[in-house]
Amino acid sequence: MADTLVHDVAESAPVPERRRPPRVRKTPTTYALRAIATVYLFLLVAWPVSLVVTNTFADGVGAITSLFEDPDMVVALQLSAYVAVWSVVINTLFGVGISLLLVRYEFPGKRLLNALLDLPLSVSPIVVGLALVLVYGGRNGWLGPTLAGWGLEVIFSTPGIIMATTFVALPLMIRELVPVLEEIGVEQEQAAQSLGASGFQRFWRITLPSIRWGIVYGVVLTLARSLGEFGAVKVVSGNVLGQTRTATLAVEEKYLNFDQQGAYATAFLLAMVSVACIVIVAIIRPKNHA
Amino acid sequence: MSIEVSGLNKKFGDFVALDDVNVTIPTGQLTALLGPSGGGKSTLLRIIAGLEKADTGTVDIEGVDATNLPAQKRNVGFVFQHYAVFKHMTVAKNVAFGLEIRKRPKDEIAHRVDELLKLVHLSQFAHRLPSQLSGGQRQRMALARALAVEPSVLLLDEPFGALDAKVRKELRDWLRRLHDDVHVTTVFVTHDQEEALEVADEIVVINEGRVEQVGTPDQLYDEPANDFVMSFLGEVTHLGGVSLRPHDIELEVAPSLAGSVEGTVSRLVRIGVEVRLTVLTVDGDAVSVVVTRAHARAQRLEEGSTVWLTPATGATVVPRMAAVV
Repeated sequence: MADTLVHDVAESAPVPERRRPPRVRKTPTTYALRAIATVYLFLLVAWPVSLVVTNTFADGVGAITSLFEDPDMVVALQLSAYVAVWSVVINTLFGVGISLLLVRYEFPGKRLLNALLDLPLSVSPIVVGLALVLVYGGRNGWLGPTLAGWGLEVIFSTPGIIMATTFVALPLMIRELVPVLEEIGVEQEQAAQSLGASGFQRFWRITLPSIRWGIVYGVVLTLARSLGEFGAVKVVSGNVLGQTRTATLAVEEKYLNFDQQGAYATAFLLAMVSVACIVIVAIIRPKNHA
Repeated sequence: MSIEVSGLNKKFGDFVALDDVNVTIPTGQLTALLGPSGGGKSTLLRIIAGLEKADTGTVDIEGVDATNLPAQKRNVGFVFQHYAVFKHMTVAKNVAFGLEIRKRPKDEIAHRVDELLKLVHLSQFAHRLPSQLSGGQRQRMALARALAVEPSVLLLDEPFGALDAKVRKELRDWLRRLHDDVHVTTVFVTHDQEEALEVADEIVVINEGRVEQVGTPDQLYDEPANDFVMSFLGEVTHLGGVSLRPHDIELEVAPSLAGSVEGTVSRLVRIGVEVRLTVLTVDGDAVSVVVTRAHARAQRLEEGSTVWLTPATGATVVPRMAAVV
């Protein structure tokens, strides 16, 4: 093919899309707002959390190392991690699917579905736990005896803990993805379609890469929420030492048994995992992604 | 015949987007779908591409009934107004997309991408992300991406609509030259009559979901089928019982031609080499007339002058429609 451009179209390159907001002149109001925000965050978040840290290390690193020497505690930490990973996997798969459904399709009952998805955020986790017991309870549950007949025990067992945790963390992935999907629109996928891409190829090559940072954030939030879940898990787990006791339940147990040092150390570990996730994402995230 | 559309109907709720549209688009030509916004031209293009489904009617592309073919099987290139670039891929990867989907050998893809980027003058930007390109560059990339798969037809939906006036004009000239080289059957949607008249071999005028007229730019301009086509393709004024172009009116300061209409110049504006007048005729019409500056000066025209107006010989005139008055 011959070169058809006689001259290159003269056009300046675009300015970088994200710029710093223009500097606003600082007034007394600016300082007052800043002071209020700082004091608020300090009293509510920074101070209490820092006390957990200082209490954990009051006697050096002994509190942390002794946690790992307690086999029941190791099991609890493993269970928490196991449950959180399952919750993340399930919520990611369903979250992507439901988000696509909500953004791309019109169907009767869409508003109802949308409202239902926020339910886990608005009801107390204790209610979630009790509801699950009502349905899956081994003896009196609605579905539980049938499942028990097949040898599948849900309540007072790991599946129940995973279900409760997944339920509680359900909206986080969807609420991350819906705005991202709305923003990217469908034109890129239509372009891919006209270039010959099948439905799966469009999803794999266009949609998924476009929403990957939304997914990463959703995973971080879901992971943090799942590790920290307490109320719903407390109801469904039965809190059997060394079997169905998660790390958060262990914190309570230790605290009530006057093992404050151990409680703080466990709490510190849980908090650190969440903080680490957020820090890692902040570091690896490219600058031009919101 | 490359694209044959027949009996196409499309409704969005109560809104009729297309009303029994029949169009044949010839092979190898550059065809414009021209009409006002909301007239249904984009819908028609999207139905041809398979991105939208018609309620009734058929679409044939190169002799194949494509009515029920999904978009990915139609082998059409589609260019969007807002570029629809793949934001997470480099320019080269964007262009290579269709070929990778078709599982062509790697070296063939690399060669073809290279060739296309040269064609659209983006070779030096191959490894950039689309966000680092200007609007015009992005649209050229989108065009290269669509051309990469050697589509049987290339469809462009208001391709230059999001660009500023200067770039738009340059890209329009460039598209014409590109088409002269590549010869792929091309259909583009525009609401800019100047763009259509300048670039297209053939123009399909669409209004309110119906095809008003099909023809070459000259045919449309010189022999408009109706008042709508005439007024959409250029300025129109009314003199006596007919519609005609303001520059097709003969203006004199003394009545010498039969059938001339007397009037008074109520407004006179000079724009560059032309002078635009508004003449209030004795029949009660306000007629726009365009004359050259030399002509206006020679006849000493000024506001308040009495003049006589006649349609020029060979002027395009269309009987005036009551609805347009």
